Amino acid sequence: MKVLDPQTLPGPKPEHFTSRLRSPAVAARIGMALGIAFGVCFVTGLLSHYAQNPTQPIPYPSSPSWGYRLTQGLHVVTGTASVPLLLVKLWTVYPKLFERPPSLRARQLLLTGLERVSILVLVASSIFMLVTGLTNTASWYVWKFGFRPAHYAMAWVTIGALLVHIAVKLPVIREALLHDVEDEHSHDRPTAVDQGVMSRRGLLRTTWLAAGTTVLLTAGATVPWLRTVSVFGVRSGDGPQGIPVNRSAKAAGVTATATSESWRLEVSHGERSVALSRPDLLAMTQRTETLPIACVEGWSANGTWTGVRLSDVLALVGADADSDVTVSSFQENGPYYTVNTLQKTFAGDDRTLLALMLDGEALALDHGYPCRLIAPNRPGVLQTKWLGSIEVQA
Amino acid sequence: MSGASTPDTGPDVRPQAGPGRAIVVVRVVVGAVGVLVGLYGAYLFLSRQTQSRQLVSAAKYLVGGVVLNDLLIALVVLALGFVVVRFVPPVVRAPLVVGGVVLGSVTLLAIPVLLAKGRKPDNPTLLDRDFVGGWWVFAAVVVVSVVAWIVVRLVVARRSPA
Repeated sequence: MKVLDPQTLPGPKPEHFTSRLRSPAVAARIGMALGIAFGVCFVTGLLSHYAQNPTQPIPYPSSPSWGYRLTQGLHVVTGTASVPLLLVKLWTVYPKLFERPPSLRARQLLLTGLERVSILVLVASSIFMLVTGLTNTASWYVWKFGFRPAHYAMAWVTIGALLVHIAVKLPVIREALLHDVEDEHSHDRPTAVDQGVMSRRGLLRTTWLAAGTTVLLTAGATVPWLRTVSVFGVRSGDGPQGIPVNRSAKAAGVTATATSESWRLEVSHGERSVALSRPDLLAMTQRTETLPIACVEGWSANGTWTGVRLSDVLALVGADADSDVTVSSFQENGPYYTVNTLQKTFAGDDRTLLALMLDGEALALDHGYPCRLIAPNRPGVLQTKWLGSIEVQA
Repeated sequence: MSGASTPDTGPDVRPQAGPGRAIVVVRVVVGAVGVLVGLYGAYLFLSRQTQSRQLVSAAKYLVGGVVLNDLLIALVVLALGFVVVRFVPPVVRAPLVVGGVVLGSVTLLAIPVLLAKGRKPDNPTLLDRDFVGGWWVFAAVVVVSVVAWIVVRLVVARRSPA
């Protein structure tokens, strides 16, 4: 059977793109940097989701106290730096978009089609991850899907498509990386010989420069000494008592209850329970710890917190320090994290405080007055503000 | 290992078999793991975004990103490249392109903070910078660097007539 030659189909063709910068030698190198960045994002993202799990078969550690600050800071910084990497990567492989299948025979069409689909999935999901991640760091919610489950599920799709892409391209990647970036090799398109405006090495350096610039201009939200340079950092690091706020007392609708004399922290363990007022808590042994508050959105700051050790409060109701506890805020109609489980690794850690003071002053209303939880190495969303009750789990 | 070539056996096709087969195995395993991981992600996605408005919204972002890159950004960059090669003197091209890549890509990723739609009146610590002012400073730094680089290139070119 005579089939139509796909090369005769109309439209732009890869041969029309003549710059030797659009080469697998460049694509493989930027792709490798992008793959590493995506890998860091994926692993740190999984850690963050695991840290937020109520049940943890392998206990999430409470040390080092800055661990979550580091992993979530890395998550957002590498994700942000991926934007220039992805843009240049897509530029280098753009001619591929117009490639025709070698023939229109079913087998060939199927193979080409599958590879095209895997690349479509990779590009679509990568852009989805970067766009939703970046807008989330800026608290800009323009979509109708749930950010957390969608960003999490799509991460698996992206990494899956990336692995398929690496498997398909491995021979090309291998050859590209074994040669010097300026060398011609068999995977170069024969028509891509124009010198362009710079060398391939120059394009790589430009890409690293753009990625490095994004880090300098955004990482100040979590790296204090970059604050003055990070003109695009989502937080300057400033706020009441030197700490930024994610959800204000006004937004949480807690002002009346928080400032009422009748506020009590209910602590219960089975049949036993106590109700503690702020003066009751202040009368107990006070401890001071310097612990970071690190948000899932990547910003973080160190605070000097003073308050009561959680284990001292648990002892009042006869509970073992090594207990899982349920921590609840008195915010009404709050988001999912107003009630959460504090695993025994955290509850039993001496640094875990029911904080009453910050930076030597009474906790600001926006930081959770009259009393908030602060535990080492814990996602910020779980450092419950405006504490209402603590219940030891059976 | 078994296919390692030794000098006395002369040309042999087998030396290729060792690493060659290993690569095939690696490709098949990595590809299969990739398919499973991707399908797991798709299952997670579809099982947690069950309302049609959520799926439609997600589809808009998935398709929109590709369309935006392949049809808008790619064509704009192609047009800019055409202008640079046609109308810009060679000594200016590289500095202009480097400055353009840095300024363009960083501006694109800064859109969420530049628009600052997430600002809330009750929380002055959120998006508490003058991002637009910061962008002008950043753009000025890029422009000054590009101009300085062009000047250096011109001076160097004049000193070494070749």
